[in-house]
Amino acid sequence: MSNFEKVGSGYSLDLTLDEAQILINLVEQLLELLGEGDFFHHYDSSDPLAQLLAMPSEIVTPDDPVLLRLLPNAYADPEAASDFRRYTEPQLRGAKQKNLRLVREQLTVLVDENLGGVIEDIEAEVWLKAINDLRIALSIRLEISETSFETFELLPDEDPQKPVYAVYFWLGWLQENLLELLL
Amino acid sequence: MVKTLPKEEVSISELVDRPWITIVWDDPVNLMNYVTHVLIKLFGFSKERAHELMMQVHNEGRAVVSSGTREEMERDVQRLHEHGLWATLQRDDKI
Repeated sequence: MSNFEKVGSGYSLDLTLDEAQILINLVEQLLELLGEGDFFHHYDSSDPLAQLLAMPSEIVTPDDPVLLRLLPNAYADPEAASDFRRYTEPQLRGAKQKNLRLVREQLTVLVDENLGGVIEDIEAEVWLKAINDLRIALSIRLEISETSFETFELLPDEDPQKPVYAVYFWLGWLQENLLELLL
Repeated sequence: MVKTLPKEEVSISELVDRPWITIVWDDPVNLMNYVTHVLIKLFGFSKERAHELMMQVHNEGRAVVSSGTREEMERDVQRLHEHGLWATLQRDDKI
């Protein structure tokens, strides 16, 4: 069973190979959805100069419901919301990509060696935010509501949605596990 | 019930100086402990105050977590979005 643990002043995470593969798969999908191309970036996307060139000329409210939840409107008024988005969305997107890239890097060590094991030097805040963004993304695709756990439990094992729900609830358990060490 | 103030009691400066507020909205995804953790981290609330605000979001669907200038509230909303909380800012509608 996977587990975050407090080690001295830091944290570690013990994952099976299956769990590491599921996580890295989701992290890479979300990175792509957030517009991270499938190549190595040699600049830090929080660098204002990099953003200057990378910023698309028009930043509009995302059509995709996952992106709209991860990069939400800050104002109820559409005009104020779109003005705010134009100036702040690249930074928000960059912050989310940065967390996911760090998590991906740490997972890569396990996945590339085809082994489960312990990841040392877990940055708790980075992992909390990344796991939360993954849960938000899955929740939109699964249309999660307050009663979804009951829905999940009633699904027959052969239902193709069942493993997706299982991953969603596992991520919640994993996040809770880390939070309990912090609170 | 809304009480309308007598006209002469509302000065322009009161209307102009009305603060902006940051609202956190309920969603069925964010864990209660996570919302509490983020409120402590971003606003320096005590554990008790953060828990109280989190419960208000959970039970009433929303809670005001900060107030101040528009620029300050835009920063707060941006930081909440970075943490995956659903937040908006607006003028305080109470006078």
